[in-house]
Amino acid sequence: MRNTKALFPAAVIAAGTLLLSSCSSDGDGDGSADGPITLEYWAWGTSQQPLVDAWNANNPDVQVTRTDAGGGTDSSAKLLTATRAGNAPDLALIEFNTLPAMIVGDVAADITEHTQDAGDAFTESVWGLTSFNGATYGVPQDVGPMALVYNQARFTELGIEVPTTWAEFADAAVAVRAADPDTYLTTFAPGEFGGFAGYAQQAGAEWWSVDGDTWTVGIDSEESLEVADYWQDLIDQDAVLAEPLLTPEWNSKLNDGQILSWPAALWAPGVIYGVAESQAGDWAIAPLPQWEEGNSDVAFQGGSAIAVTTSSEHQEAAAEFALWMNTSDEAAAIQIEAGQYPASIAGQELTLESDPPLLMPQQTDYWEVAAEIAANTIPDISWGPNVNVASSAFQDAVASAITNGTPLRDALVETQQIVVDDMTTTGFDVAEN
Amino acid sequence: MSTETPQTDAASMLVTGTAPPQNRRRRRRLAPYVFLAPSMLLFVAFLAVPIVYAVYLSLRGFRLTGGGAFGQRREVFVGFANYVSTFTDPEFFAGFTRLAVYGAIAIPLTLGLALLFALLLDLPRAKATRFSRTAIFIPYAVPGVVASLLWGFLYLPSTSPFSYITEQLGWGTIGFLDGTMLFSSVANIAIWSGVGFNMIIIYTSLRGIPSDVYEAARLDGATEWQIARKIKIPLVAPALVLTGIFSLIGTLQLYGEPTTLRPMTSEISQTWVPLMKIYRDAFVRDDLPLAAASSVVLAVGTLLVSLLVLRLVQKRAFGDDS
Repeated sequence: MRNTKALFPAAVIAAGTLLLSSCSSDGDGDGSADGPITLEYWAWGTSQQPLVDAWNANNPDVQVTRTDAGGGTDSSAKLLTATRAGNAPDLALIEFNTLPAMIVGDVAADITEHTQDAGDAFTESVWGLTSFNGATYGVPQDVGPMALVYNQARFTELGIEVPTTWAEFADAAVAVRAADPDTYLTTFAPGEFGGFAGYAQQAGAEWWSVDGDTWTVGIDSEESLEVADYWQDLIDQDAVLAEPLLTPEWNSKLNDGQILSWPAALWAPGVIYGVAESQAGDWAIAPLPQWEEGNSDVAFQGGSAIAVTTSSEHQEAAAEFALWMNTSDEAAAIQIEAGQYPASIAGQELTLESDPPLLMPQQTDYWEVAAEIAANTIPDISWGPNVNVASSAFQDAVASAITNGTPLRDALVETQQIVVDDMTTTGFDVAEN
Repeated sequence: MSTETPQTDAASMLVTGTAPPQNRRRRRRLAPYVFLAPSMLLFVAFLAVPIVYAVYLSLRGFRLTGGGAFGQRREVFVGFANYVSTFTDPEFFAGFTRLAVYGAIAIPLTLGLALLFALLLDLPRAKATRFSRTAIFIPYAVPGVVASLLWGFLYLPSTSPFSYITEQLGWGTIGFLDGTMLFSSVANIAIWSGVGFNMIIIYTSLRGIPSDVYEAARLDGATEWQIARKIKIPLVAPALVLTGIFSLIGTLQLYGEPTTLRPMTSEISQTWVPLMKIYRDAFVRDDLPLAAASSVVLAVGTLLVSLLVLRLVQKRAFGDDS
């Protein structure tokens, strides 16, 4: 009993560690080799549960359980920590622009050998979003070709033509202000990193590119800076509303018909309908305005792929599930019903037999217009390994440029600097430019 | 007794509370540890271990291994690099400046209003005290995020009743979330929810003052105002110090209100206050080690400021005995 004093603290620490370790010991419930295997799948969005249910009904041997781990950004942040903690799911939905970060974060596994023939199911530009240096890291699920969603009823009322070039778009913005001082043609929101990147990519900018082992960052490239100048000019003239999107303020203006368009992507009608149901029937879709007349290229904004994780013990089965989810007709039909624009060629063809989205029941040629837009997406868009850093730096820099009245140009230069510094600190080889 | 084994001996000891002298001594030596064990266990598991881990993590960093454009980002030891970036980031310290402006508005107003309400409720003539006390306290029961959303709607021009009135009068809308007014608007939310809690502490302390002190003062012809100023406020000084320290620490931990308001205005950046920057580094930029380093700096800073304030006010509030 002489040892009581010495023993006690040790016992406390031991009990403490026990307590801590017991918190992290669950979560790896793989069945035995013979029985049915269970795959864990993290995904957000309304289409996912019906998709998983449909798979489970046809595949008693490979059962999938789905967890909603938050939207794209949250889910990816959790994936990184879960992978480090050793309890990541087998599969996860990942946004295209986050996929490179998931590759260097050791989350997404190389599934080239399990997806040999899958490339044919997609257009080259879509398949390129999940392939890096010849290796495939995911199967594309849905894409967001950029398009102009606009309030057709108010356009007609104010006598505004649908702009086909960005120059016409700027004239329309000024004309709208003149016709109705309470109304803006569109919003320039500091948080819309993906949208701005899309406009810049449409102008020919490459925000990230890889040559061998060296990255080049082009956030402050000449093309991007010109896009910044374009919006700067509209902000200075008070021709666009420089405010965040989807705030109670913005939604109220949208419902009052005071915001007339959103140059975003094919998922935008669903978002607008979600906050302004009363506007159904007034809106329509058109191709995104072009920087040069006669051109028809657009970039993607948003969209996601299913990746198999490096932590999965059933990579082949997981890849098979991902392929079914994103290339089968049955799955595409479920996707379309939930408002997603499928990434696969077959899925996109299937949309032509569908009803237009709830926001524009009157636009019967909606899916034809969408298909035409989707056919003109830019190939070879590549995202970098720290899009999260770029996106958060962009938001703050642009927001402060707008509130302080400093040039948007400088905000891009600042973002570029932060992104390059971050990549250099991490140890990437970044080219000077 | 002599035939009993030690086990039954121990059992009878538990039941009857009697034990041979030798065992009793052993028990007495063991008892403090047994009593301490639950709190020690919780302290180690939920405070000591996380702190040690945070300090350890602050010396780590994610760096590329294996080279190439798609090498793996792995955790390695980076020394004090995270502390260097914390101290060289102007945004981190700009956050403290914003906190100072916010604190300069929020702390005096919260404490001042809390003291005022407590003194008013303590007046002998006060009517409906129970109702008023509850009414002032209720906002404290509203969760911070809910309060911020609620006030957000009251601030935004399209949904604000205040802006509606000024607009009807032809004065235009009020930019609650623009420019310098933002600080008052954020502070207002904290004051609205904090006054009730602080008032209860001060009021409880007021009720503890023996009433013969007042009687003596009244016999000497003191007015209620004089009683409040000369007797009540000096006697509740310890409660004021306590609420002051709480408010100060609360200010340094400001996070929920600006984070909830952020989507509504371009004025609030992701690094508006230090805790928001720490959150961004950890969960947006995936740089947990840098966030850990900044957290350590913030925690040490909070401790130092609290100690400093305590030392400054201690003598006046508690007298010389401490």
